[in-house]
Amino acid sequence: MENLIGQGRLAIDMIVDPDSFREGVVGTLQLTDEEFGPGAVVGTASLDGAICTIIANDAMTINQKFPVVYAGIIGLEEGYKMALAVYHSIEADRDRAPGEKRALVLIVDTPGNGAGKLEEMAGMNKATGAYQMALAEARKAGHPIVAIVVGRAISGGFLCHGLQADHVLSLSAAFNTMIHVMPLTSIARITRLDIEWLQELAKSNPVFAAGPDFFYRLGGVEELVDSIPAMRDRVIAHIAEVRALKAAGREDQLGPWGRGTLGEVRGGRTVRGRVMQTMNEEFAKVADRYLK
Amino acid sequence: MSSDWETLQNRSFLESNARARAIGLADPGTFTELAGPRCRLSSPHLPLLGEAVEFDDGIVTGVGRHGSRPLFIASQEGRFVGGSVGEVHGAKLVNIVRMAHQAYDRMLAETPELPEERRPAVVISFETGGVRLHEANAGLLAHAELMDQFQDCKGKVPVIGIIGGRVGCFGGMGFVAAATDAIIMSPFGRLGLTGPEVIEEEMGKDEFDASDRALVYRVTGGKHKYIMGDCNLLVEDTIAAFRQGLGKVLAMSYAEIDRLRRIGSLDKVKAQLRTLAALVEIAPRDSRDVWTFAGNPAAETLVDMKLDDFLRTVKRLENAS
Amino acid sequence: MAKKLRELTFELKAESPSALPTDFLHYGVVGSGDMEVIMEHQELAGAVRIIVRTPVAGFDEVWRRVLERFVNQTGMADARIEINDNNATPVVVTLRLHQALAEIAEGGARHV
Repeated sequence: MENLIGQGRLAIDMIVDPDSFREGVVGTLQLTDEEFGPGAVVGTASLDGAICTIIANDAMTINQKFPVVYAGIIGLEEGYKMALAVYHSIEADRDRAPGEKRALVLIVDTPGNGAGKLEEMAGMNKATGAYQMALAEARKAGHPIVAIVVGRAISGGFLCHGLQADHVLSLSAAFNTMIHVMPLTSIARITRLDIEWLQELAKSNPVFAAGPDFFYRLGGVEELVDSIPAMRDRVIAHIAEVRALKAAGREDQLGPWGRGTLGEVRGGRTVRGRVMQTMNEEFAKVADRYLK
Repeated sequence: MSSDWETLQNRSFLESNARARAIGLADPGTFTELAGPRCRLSSPHLPLLGEAVEFDDGIVTGVGRHGSRPLFIASQEGRFVGGSVGEVHGAKLVNIVRMAHQAYDRMLAETPELPEERRPAVVISFETGGVRLHEANAGLLAHAELMDQFQDCKGKVPVIGIIGGRVGCFGGMGFVAAATDAIIMSPFGRLGLTGPEVIEEEMGKDEFDASDRALVYRVTGGKHKYIMGDCNLLVEDTIAAFRQGLGKVLAMSYAEIDRLRRIGSLDKVKAQLRTLAALVEIAPRDSRDVWTFAGNPAAETLVDMKLDDFLRTVKRLENAS
Repeated sequence: MAKKLRELTFELKAESPSALPTDFLHYGVVGSGDMEVIMEHQELAGAVRIIVRTPVAGFDEVWRRVLERFVNQTGMADARIEINDNNATPVVVTLRLHQALAEIAEGGARHV
């Protein structure tokens, strides 16, 4: 098997315990309408014997109500459907101790958010935002969230489905995984910069280039996984690691903030920290004037 | 300084630059810029690509006051690379929000009974197309950090979004704005996820004719977003009007402000899904169909109606707050 | 095809110099065809040091002429000037520099 692009459902089966995935069911949520947000697959599974919520993309469907939503695109219904799965996970474990909240596993293979006139009229920004807010809430409530990129993680699609996780893993570039805002060819066209020169520059500066390796250097991906069969074990290991960090009160090493720090450690995002430090130092000098 | 502040108030928000907006949104003479031009924190990436830089990287960040509240302010400059988010720009925006909830924690630790009207608030003037392509990956990651910071503010620090610049608020910043507690727009403000030009390029002119300016405004403009409930207050295009709008929101209790949210809870997601189902039912070809559905039989007249008259007569969708 | 942002430095002296009447001033927005400037006091034995960052190549002499005229007209001295340019025409450059100085005269309205 060369890659898993377009194979979100297969990826679920390869990661969770055999025959454990129950689609459409999360806590009290029971989705029965097959035409509701078909590009998003949500459900409950067992992973290494523990209950978890699965949220994935299905690239093989078309949303009949929203013609721009196909090939794994996250449309209006898909975004809200994913949000429902997260809120119902939180709800189901509301009375559990923080260390016992179920994990959420995000299996990522999306080319982006729905781009259409109806989407803009209805407010696609809300649907993708709703899912991200739900994930951030679940993460801070104690649920370990691990995302794994198995195919495409493109721009706003990756922000929506992936970058709110505690840890983000990706199959390495050998599996044709795509992580980018835009391919370099498009960046070259829009910025009117020479493509060969951009490719050359990208070697020393990961800030605009496409591919999982560059995101790794920027701290946007915690770990690159170099075999498909290894995905399951790595997801299980990262859930355990995330749980341990949460138990130790080290939330600052998790999620988007943790990846900001990681970007500095790996040398890909070195200015971010300096900018924040400057602001903090300047504010410290005047803080009493505003906060007293 | 304060006479200067006075003259700012009556200026067009649309025509003003980011710094004037930031100063004018705070109480007179209270704005202190943080990491301003003097720090010369311009993008280290743009020069490598031969692109012009700006000392503040296209965003003004600072702290001011609104009445008895500390007000943490960010204001994007649409004229510099379309207000786009690069590494420095993103870091400033993320950190101003972070500073606000850290200030909250500090103030509440010192004064547990601190009344709501003295607690910090955040206001962000969005004028941006989203990620800056020249430093796209860093810009993208900053968006995720912002959503994370907003979640830390939730229940503590009101976050208010303002959209009244020429560029509008698009790309990833479209959902960042959607995740604020309250949104204030002028009729000139535009909000969306995928800009009309991008939709036209990807899906064709039949899907969205981006050269049809009237259509663009009907779909993304302040009036439509107000009818949808995607913006909470629609104000005239002056800095003073935006400031008054801000004052209206900040006069509310946090519980009331939370009710202005469009997303951010299971109930709100359910409400959005009900609205969406209704829209699918009417299959709108144009925002005018949505306006009619909302209870405005003479939908076409809303386009050119003066704001006062519009606000007096318009019917909004059921869930709009 | 390496295309980097260019940095030009000029060291100029006015015919009848007088000190910059402020410690620090920032003016302008780097829009397309526009520029921003920082002017600040610096002891330079009466000279003015000007740093221009511009994406455009081949106009060094035009910059020199425009800046020399500005320094002579205003008699500026002991100042460091930094310009971030994005394809501003000489007319716009001259206008912005004079507007920046006018800000000082108006007493610190530094954000217009």
